[in-house]
Amino acid sequence: MLVLALAAGSAGSAAAQAMRPFATFRQLHGESRLQARLDFAAGQLRVVPGRAGELYRMSLTYDADRFVPLSHYDPTANAVTLGVDRVGGPGFRVVSRGQLEQDAVVELSPRTDLSLALSLGAVESEVELGGLRLGDLSVEAGASRTVLQFSQPNQIRCRTAEVSAGAAEISLLKLGNSHCDRLRVEGGIGRMTLDFGGNWTGSQRAELSLAVTELRLRLPRKVGVRISMDRFLASFEPAGLERRGDEWISPGYEKADRHLDISLRTTVGAVKVNWID
Amino acid sequence: MRTASRILLAGSLLLALPSSAHAKTSCMLSRVSGVFETVRAFVEQQIAPGPQKLKPQAVEPAPAGGPSVDLGDLSQPEVVERHLRTAVPAPRPDLKLTVPNGQARLGDFTIGSAETVTGHLLVLSGDANVYGKLLGNLVTMDGNVVMHPGGVVSGDILALHGDVRDQGGEIGGEVRTLSAVTRPPAQADSAGAASTITGVGRNVAGVVAVFFTLLALGVGLVTFARPSLDVVSDTASHSFGRSFITGLIGQILVLPTFGMLVVGLVLSVAGILLLPFAVVVFVLLVILGVVGGYLAVAHAIGETYTRRRMARGTTIASANSYRYLLAGLVGLFTLWGAWALFGWVPVAGEMVRAAAVLVTWLVGTVGFGAALLSRAGARGNFAGRLIPPEALTDEYLWATPQFGVPAVRRPESGPGARPGPRS
Repeated sequence: MLVLALAAGSAGSAAAQAMRPFATFRQLHGESRLQARLDFAAGQLRVVPGRAGELYRMSLTYDADRFVPLSHYDPTANAVTLGVDRVGGPGFRVVSRGQLEQDAVVELSPRTDLSLALSLGAVESEVELGGLRLGDLSVEAGASRTVLQFSQPNQIRCRTAEVSAGAAEISLLKLGNSHCDRLRVEGGIGRMTLDFGGNWTGSQRAELSLAVTELRLRLPRKVGVRISMDRFLASFEPAGLERRGDEWISPGYEKADRHLDISLRTTVGAVKVNWID
Repeated sequence: MRTASRILLAGSLLLALPSSAHAKTSCMLSRVSGVFETVRAFVEQQIAPGPQKLKPQAVEPAPAGGPSVDLGDLSQPEVVERHLRTAVPAPRPDLKLTVPNGQARLGDFTIGSAETVTGHLLVLSGDANVYGKLLGNLVTMDGNVVMHPGGVVSGDILALHGDVRDQGGEIGGEVRTLSAVTRPPAQADSAGAASTITGVGRNVAGVVAVFFTLLALGVGLVTFARPSLDVVSDTASHSFGRSFITGLIGQILVLPTFGMLVVGLVLSVAGILLLPFAVVVFVLLVILGVVGGYLAVAHAIGETYTRRRMARGTTIASANSYRYLLAGLVGLFTLWGAWALFGWVPVAGEMVRAAAVLVTWLVGTVGFGAALLSRAGARGNFAGRLIPPEALTDEYLWATPQFGVPAVRRPESGPGARPGPRS
């Protein structure tokens, strides 16, 4: 009993965190574009399309002992930085799940052309970009678990989507809705799912460079797929793709209206292919 | 008479109540108690003085050098809050505060629909209702901002410990709300206690696993290399200081020796081929020296302890090397066990851990030194007992409680006595 009592007392003082709610938003005043940068070092993050009359909004609960909220808008560049920043310089130790209890919901305007950069640390994130006007996307994910999806078609053409993942589990879903001309993915140790389902309006090109990563490709049957692969100590399950030299090509590639050309370099890993209708 | 019979009837009914009825009664009592607590809390809340409602008034600017808060940059709300808390520890009617390019107000404040206020506005302990125009930033502390239809704030809004309710106003800048810190003590305590118990369990499991691993290795040593273990053990017992110094020097020289070995092999053409094997053998020898030495010291500790008990007259059925090893390891792991159980205690836990590490290092160093001195048990130069052989009989050592001291401390029987073999 004494042990339990002392344990409860001691651990209680150690575990109690100073969680603090913070919210910020900005009304939409006719801005046509927005450069949004989300820096989130630890916790849970959700990104969703926002309200019609607002440029952005963030509702945050953060650990006031270790972080400070980030909310800065530069009207000259139409750029906003949101998220949390570490107190006392770079780097922090995550020693318990309690430190990851801070969470944020970020809403971004569906009425402005958006350039979005996500920098994620030890984060579990759900990023819904469907229905936005996404011009380009950059994601840097550390030790994170990220699900990024386009459940609705992107309203404008997206030039580039770049994803760089460290020791992460990352899923990019319904990339067909992204309308991105070019997708670049760099993956470290982890697991990655690239789902190219969705509403295709043009062809896409994907450059994947992976190491020690299990890659699962979900490819739409209606799109002609060509994979040029450079692999070392990596397994590959072609699942119906036909080999032509160094390339793997889906049946009927030449006849397809839309094409997905994947350039894949992988070292020590596995590549699995699933077909979706 | 009737009263007495009623009391008897009530008593018998109470006695006759089944256990379920008792449970229901206690449940009802607890509910009544809960209701009572709720009512009491409500009454206390009504009686207790709430936050003092300040009369709305303007705050006069402070004289030069007095408290001042700049509201020009609200991008770091925590900084603004800190400055405000420093400048205004507790809002009072006689407060004096300077707001550069603006003004401060105490209590509720309203900008009328026909009004235009120029400059930053700070509202302390009250709500800010905006029907008209504010050309600047707006900050409230312990109050809300209400933007009414037609109301305009050209700059940023910051509500410290309050809300911003946009009912149709126009806000030119960014809106921020920073609420008070929340600490969920109950959840944190239970989660912390659970994590502490989990941590204790993990530590105990780790210590037990290491203990049994070392015990298994020790049993293997006793079974297959008992003479060598005895010699190393005796070396540690009888040449403790020498073993410690040797072990210390050995630790210091391990890396240079390894480097010399590698360089020597690399420089010799044929040696390069042997390099991988030499590296592996060297590492294994060092590990064997340290672990074997540690086990030998545990054996020596257990032997000393067992013999002392026997010297006090305790009957021990089988005093052999297995028992010595077990006793020694149990003794050495006592500190680690204490750390595993109480390592979470602030300060004391760290001290126990430091002691355990120190003792382990000391024992490892002595054991390593003893292994080096005795050439892994091949040489008994430092393991000899400085007592005559006849003093090493069972009867003399163990069954003579009147002497009750370790044999090594007993006087020699005569000059020129030589170390003899072990019994």
